[in-house]
Amino acid sequence: MAQEVLLGLFDNLEATTAVLRDLERQNIPDRNIEVMSNVPYAPKVLGRRPTRQWPFLPFVLAGVLGGLAIALFIVVITPRLYPIIVGGQPLTPFPPSAIIVFEFVALGAMAGGFIGFLLQNRYPVLVRQMYDPRISEGYIGVAVRADDQAADSVADIFAAHNAHDVVREDAARYPVQSRRFLAFWAGLAVVGLLALLAPLLLTYNIIDIPWFNQMRESPSIGFQEGPRRAAPAESIPIQGPVLINGQPATEPLPASEESLQRGQLLYEVNCAICHGMQGNADGSMTKYFPEAPVLTTDRVSGMADQEIFMIITLGRNRMPSLAENLTVNETWDVVNYVRALREAGQ
Amino acid sequence: MLESSADRTPYWQEPLPEDDELAQQVAHARDEHLLVDARPPAETNSLMFRAMTRTGPLFWLMVLGLGGLTFALFATWVIQMFYGLGITGLNRSVMWGPYIVNLVFFIGIGHAGTFISAALRLMRMDFRRPIARLAETVTLFGLALAALFPLIHLGRVWKVYYMFPIPTQRELWPNFRSPLLWDATAITAYLIGSTLFMYTALIPDLATARDHLTGWRKRLYGALSLGFRGTESEWSRLETLSNILSYIIIPVMFSVHTIVSWDFAMAIQPGWHSTIFGPFFIVGALFSGVAAVIIVMIIVRKAMRMGYFLREEHFNAMGIFLLILSLTWVYFYFNEYIVTWYGNLPAERAILQMLTTDASPLFYLMLFCNIIVPLGTLWSRRVRTSLPAMLVIAVFVQIGMYLERVLIVSGFLSRNELPFNWINYTPNWPEILITIGTFGFMALLYILWTRVVPIIPLWEVHEGQSRQRLPRIGRAIVPTRTEPH
Ligand code: HEC
Repeated sequence: MAQEVLLGLFDNLEATTAVLRDLERQNIPDRNIEVMSNVPYAPKVLGRRPTRQWPFLPFVLAGVLGGLAIALFIVVITPRLYPIIVGGQPLTPFPPSAIIVFEFVALGAMAGGFIGFLLQNRYPVLVRQMYDPRISEGYIGVAVRADDQAADSVADIFAAHNAHDVVREDAARYPVQSRRFLAFWAGLAVVGLLALLAPLLLTYNIIDIPWFNQMRESPSIGFQEGPRRAAPAESIPIQGPVLINGQPATEPLPASEESLQRGQLLYEVNCAICHGMQGNADGSMTKYFPEAPVLTTDRVSGMADQEIFMIITLGRNRMPSLAENLTVNETWDVVNYVRALREAGQ
Repeated sequence: MLESSADRTPYWQEPLPEDDELAQQVAHARDEHLLVDARPPAETNSLMFRAMTRTGPLFWLMVLGLGGLTFALFATWVIQMFYGLGITGLNRSVMWGPYIVNLVFFIGIGHAGTFISAALRLMRMDFRRPIARLAETVTLFGLALAALFPLIHLGRVWKVYYMFPIPTQRELWPNFRSPLLWDATAITAYLIGSTLFMYTALIPDLATARDHLTGWRKRLYGALSLGFRGTESEWSRLETLSNILSYIIIPVMFSVHTIVSWDFAMAIQPGWHSTIFGPFFIVGALFSGVAAVIIVMIIVRKAMRMGYFLREEHFNAMGIFLLILSLTWVYFYFNEYIVTWYGNLPAERAILQMLTTDASPLFYLMLFCNIIVPLGTLWSRRVRTSLPAMLVIAVFVQIGMYLERVLIVSGFLSRNELPFNWINYTPNWPEILITIGTFGFMALLYILWTRVVPIIPLWEVHEGQSRQRLPRIGRAIVPTRTEPH
């Protein structure tokens, strides 16, 4: 017996539900009836049994597991393949891992639900379907699949309820969607996986290509490795005590008459309170700095000029740094004067 | 009522009541509420499709202008690649300038989209129906453009793969536990989720477009609608999927902007290192996002003559939403401020001082835009339903929220624990051009998009209309929603 497909268009709910009731009385099985509309009508509204649908849960769960797998790969496996310790934390610390896991699980769940939706609806539909564009203009379509005999009575029912229009065609022209759509998704999935896999193969060195790597090929120069270059002409001149490797970066001044005069003046202002006018450690502050030494000793004359310079500039123990009181040249003047003290005392 | 008279006619042909006064009330309700003003779907569909296919000279002029801005964006980027980031105003201390501000800003306006769609959908707020897709589109393009900025900010963008947590023989392993990785992951998840969410709701409308348009559009929509016919099972699956996606995408949305805030808060930079940054950023994002949606609504309504779909009631609802968000934002900002102020740490004191001295014009303008303007005006229904007023307010909020990010990013960075490192920042032309260009690019994508997809979810409006009734209670006609589930 040849099968036929009928589509009746109705412009209101009341007629539609009446038709559905009559079809039920005609013993047309529920699965052979499809109601199409431009807005969702709940089965209850149409007086039909709730639509059967596969639960979404398995799809969502599969998505969750997929997302979890990716997340765990990123937070557990990758750091172990290439361990670097950051901030004294374990390789898989909880808080950041939880974030990555959350995002991928959520993404997986959404993608899983969506894939479930596509598969259940057998999208994309690749075969001819019984449909009428007027349905998206608000008409409600009732499509019935029946053998010729029943088809006549269905047509009568449609007519009895003032169908706006009835389309009646041979069911052979409307094949049931085969599994071709699965092939479509499988093909797409394969392409997608390959597109994802290719970079990963390179990334994880499974395919190893000796890339040109500028960073590795650049010459490596150690910390403070010589030779030292001269300062460029436009660089800022050095003011104040600058010490390189603990040595003054400036040349001593010759112990000229003027230098000694300036040195004496500065010594009396800056040093005498502790070291005494003649360097005999009898200044007014000696009460508080009893350890301030005599400056005419062999010890002091045995010191290099630089050393005295450094003592004045940096201070030593309880002797304060006088760098702020004296410029570089003034410090050299004082050094010259300290040297002269011993000769003056003898 | 035992007899359902309404259903003997289509839902868009409900007869007027006999009584004159009641009829008048019905007419008034129809004026006011979209969902009781049902018209034949054929009419509303073609209203939408006519607007979609109409591309007058003004439209092309807009495309040209916005295309010019887009060109400026990419040309500047190329120039910047050539000469290096040195041509920008970025410096040693303020190494994150407008590029990162734009990143935060565009992710921010991307927030309202999903929130309006998903959260209001789950709460069954009917005013979302005509707005949902406008908002989702803001999300889509906002996120896509935001993703551009880390790249622009990179300088040598072709070295971007150095950042990926993918170890290679370059022997350079990025930090797998860095907030930047969380950020990239979250944005990707959100972008994909939002796209799925949007596409799901788009399928029935694409099917409608397939039925009523011709030529290349018919082929395009035919392919994209996947063969949707509107059968019961398709609708019920669509419903289930939308619910699932809504429930999942809301926490993802919250996570995204929280993580954006962590890009800052995880650093021990004074001013950033704050536990409140997550929720504070979310509120700010929703605030600017809702304002962005309002701007888009106004422009779409005017340019595409969508007055039928986007009515005063929608602007009113969005205005209230904006008002609430403004209050929430004030609360968070004050919270953040007072803790810092009371703590009085030297570096943070320097930041507060900077706000009221060097950066004071920006700071006070921001407070004006974000607090005085919305709180001073939006309490009035007259203001909320006036389009020019809403446009001005929404633009003010955008400016305010942009400034807020400017202050947080380049402002706070200019003060730190090392006073010798306090360097104020002024943008140079590349940042300015790229920023302006991006806004142009966003608008360009948006207006092209409005010509390709039905920007108002037709089926959701029709669904709402099929569920609204105007029963009489006493002597009044009251719009009522039915819930046939
Ligand atoms: C506040 C008191 C004070 C002042 C001012 C002062 N010194 Fe001293 N100086 C000391 C003390 C105390 C020591 C001993 C430091 C130590 O314990 O090694 C010292 C040590 C020295 C020494 C090392 C002597 C040795 O035998 O190791 C020299 C040289 C010296 N001072 C030079 C000067 C000069 C030159 C000035 C002025 C520019 C000066 N000091 C200013 C307190 C002072």
